Amino acid sequence: MIAIDFKNITCSYENKTALDSISLSIPAGQVIGLVGRNGAGKTTLIRSAMGMLRPQSGTISILGLDPVKDSVLVKQRVGYVSEEQILPPFLKVLDVMNLHKSLYPMTWDDHLARKLSSQFNLPTDQKIKTLSKGQARQVALVCAVSHRPELLILDEPAGGLDPSARREFLETSIAFLNESGSTILFSSHHMTDVERMSNRIILLHKGKKLLDRDMDDLKEENTLVIIPEIEGIDRSSIKDLPQCLSVRKRGDLYHSVFHLPVEETRQCVEDKFSLRGLQAKSMGLEELFIEVTGGQS
Amino acid sequence: MMILVDPNNGIPVYRQLMDQIKFFVSSGVLKPGDPLPSTRSLSSQLGVNPMTISKAYSFLEREQVLERRPGRPLVVKNVDPKELETRKMEQLNESLKHPVRVVKQLNIDIKQAAQAFEDLLKPSGEPHDRN
Repeated sequence: MIAIDFKNITCSYENKTALDSISLSIPAGQVIGLVGRNGAGKTTLIRSAMGMLRPQSGTISILGLDPVKDSVLVKQRVGYVSEEQILPPFLKVLDVMNLHKSLYPMTWDDHLARKLSSQFNLPTDQKIKTLSKGQARQVALVCAVSHRPELLILDEPAGGLDPSARREFLETSIAFLNESGSTILFSSHHMTDVERMSNRIILLHKGKKLLDRDMDDLKEENTLVIIPEIEGIDRSSIKDLPQCLSVRKRGDLYHSVFHLPVEETRQCVEDKFSLRGLQAKSMGLEELFIEVTGGQS
Repeated sequence: MMILVDPNNGIPVYRQLMDQIKFFVSSGVLKPGDPLPSTRSLSSQLGVNPMTISKAYSFLEREQVLERRPGRPLVVKNVDPKELETRKMEQLNESLKHPVRVVKQLNIDIKQAAQAFEDLLKPSGEPHDRN
């Protein structure tokens, strides 16, 4: 089954295009990390998927349903947490959970809610306002997953949390994944979290999909190579090489990313420019992100 | 089992898991018949997606390092001594690739490089030639 299906989605605010004919198809069971610079269109994509925005053109299907027309049905089957989400400060944790339980009478799983709460030591008899930011976000997550959604959508769920709170949040998400195996789409600026959680990466840049790849392929088949700026070598001669994804000038060196394994990249560039001993290496996601979306200098 | 992963590393997490488990098997830390942690428990212990663990486990099964029997935990597969030697040499060759590249880039004489390697292999603290 296809959990999320976008066909040619274009969405603009006033004169600014936030999403520029985006198509993507996410089969059930995948965990997708949605990454991109601020303003790349991540939140617009997520809000469109949740039916909170209606794109100017294109069609969206969530679990086979229209998120705007069938919004109630979709919300029954989707869990959602965002950075801005606010829980009622004067309610106790348990009351907030009971409130959610009443919204999902058919599907709420008390056992799961209790299990996750105790696993992560959430003080269920305390008021929300006494909790730390990290704990409050975890309560939101427990509420979002305890009706056992088929699809979980997280918009910068760990935004503003300290590293330990972020890790605890991640562990709760993984505990849920272990319980249910459902589809997850989450956006984040924390590349190590994305690397731990997801098996597919979608990188948005200026409203377009710049990369959409299996996480392991991304690491095994992308290489950064450093090329000196000497006679006969310039941006366009590098950019014209097969499988070149990006070229970035740093001082008198070019940083270039190729969609090839390390040794092949080194070979290809050395042969082309008759050079020897070039530095070439595989990259973590953070480095790749910076290389392909970062500015020039 | 002391497995550590570094998600920020350019090596995919499932590869890191495979390499470490293979190393434990070759070095005898894990013995034939020893059970592996369940996908779930290793996933929560390491804080990585359970699918990554399953991927590593199924590749290791395919490579005959692990063995799955119905209704039992995944265990280390029995291996004949000759095959074990082959695996050890493969692992050694793989990890020597980097030093070999350094030797070539620094343009060091092969004999000197081999001597350096041999010297490093001598147990430390052992007196060298008495004369």
